[in-house]
Amino acid sequence: MTRHDFSERDIHMALDGELPVDERVAYDAWLEANPEMKARSARYVADREALRAAFAGVLDEPVPARLQKIVVGDAPAKMAALNSRWWFAAAAAAMLAIGGVGGYVAGIDRLGLEGPAENQLAEQAIAAHVIYAAEQRHAVEVPASDKDHLQTWLSNKVGLKLVAPDLAAQGFQLVGGRLLPAGESKAAMLLYEDDKGERISLFVTAESAEKAKGTYGSEENGPEAVYWLDKGYGCAVVGSLPRAQLTAVAKSAYSQLLAGLAS
Amino acid sequence: MDEKKAAILGEIPRLRRYARSLLRDRDSADDLVQDCLERALVRLDNWQTGESPRRWLFTIMHHLFIDQMRKVNRRGEAAMLPLEANEAQAAPAEQVESIASREIIDALQAISPDRRAALVMVAIEGFSYAEAANILGVPAGTLMSRIARGRDELRGLLDDAARRRTIRIVEK
Repeated sequence: MTRHDFSERDIHMALDGELPVDERVAYDAWLEANPEMKARSARYVADREALRAAFAGVLDEPVPARLQKIVVGDAPAKMAALNSRWWFAAAAAAMLAIGGVGGYVAGIDRLGLEGPAENQLAEQAIAAHVIYAAEQRHAVEVPASDKDHLQTWLSNKVGLKLVAPDLAAQGFQLVGGRLLPAGESKAAMLLYEDDKGERISLFVTAESAEKAKGTYGSEENGPEAVYWLDKGYGCAVVGSLPRAQLTAVAKSAYSQLLAGLAS
Repeated sequence: MDEKKAAILGEIPRLRRYARSLLRDRDSADDLVQDCLERALVRLDNWQTGESPRRWLFTIMHHLFIDQMRKVNRRGEAAMLPLEANEAQAAPAEQVESIASREIIDALQAISPDRRAALVMVAIEGFSYAEAANILGVPAGTLMSRIARGRDELRGLLDDAARRRTIRIVEK
């Protein structure tokens, strides 16, 4: 019982079952003699129980079929091209911290669960893409050569600080942009093109009053939209790219748009 | 089904719980588990028989989580989510949370990812310090200080939340 004095560090060790058994008695005596430490220990114990209780239910949830299928499915394991859809949640959390405008994006893989506002945004964005991306000579109102004016003009009209994302790393160059109606409000459309002539568009509106939420919208055999809604803005990236590529482009566009909005 | 796959299947509920404590949102958490399982199956040969599938899988998932958080941090400053902002976030509708649970889950999301992972690993998942340090790939001393600071930070946030609640009641 001639052990050195205990410290706060031992509270954590005791709590986590890391305190050597032969020190336990002396530790308990020390705790009894130090009401402040004892109270602290009690708070930590209560917090741990609350934490365990908060997540206990997860173990009883049925395992989603998509997860089971990965393990027991017949298909040979493919080289992991990571889904990383959860990246959005992590990115949104970080953006929220720096800009205060960020969104909380739930998985973008929930077809059919979208609310009306999200559907509307995606449908408008897809409709605009179908019409204007097919135009060769009149696809945009303001060309990329006049980018500064394009950004100022659209920002003023839409009511958001818009910065056209640089998607060169994904192989896309800005073609230009145009102003569009979006419900009772206005939307900015930015058109991009790669060297094969494949086009994608960004659709941004300040109309959304929705709570932070995000999902993934698609149309049969048509272009797909990856989109986000937050208080004060809605954004969609539309294209007919393979989903992984579209997601990569959207990811980049999203973080740049958010950074622009916050600047 | 071979033994290895059966063992992996048995760990999914725990992986989901860990992912949920890291990311909160249910779909995002399951996406993380999905990435983890896909990577694990590709590297099935790396897993020595006899070794705990749990430690192996948690290590894979933790690496995925930390890699992404680092990428995010390079873009932004920190992945800390202020409590106020968190309160505005809608909890998934299907998730029934008591007020106490909700409060502690919010607070957990607000502490730094490194501390969150260390604390959860030991306090919820029940790993020993040695195991957790191994999974997280940090020295035991680092793990201990993350746990201690994480607990302290968590308690501070809960105290703040309680204080705000009191003020609100008083104002009424």
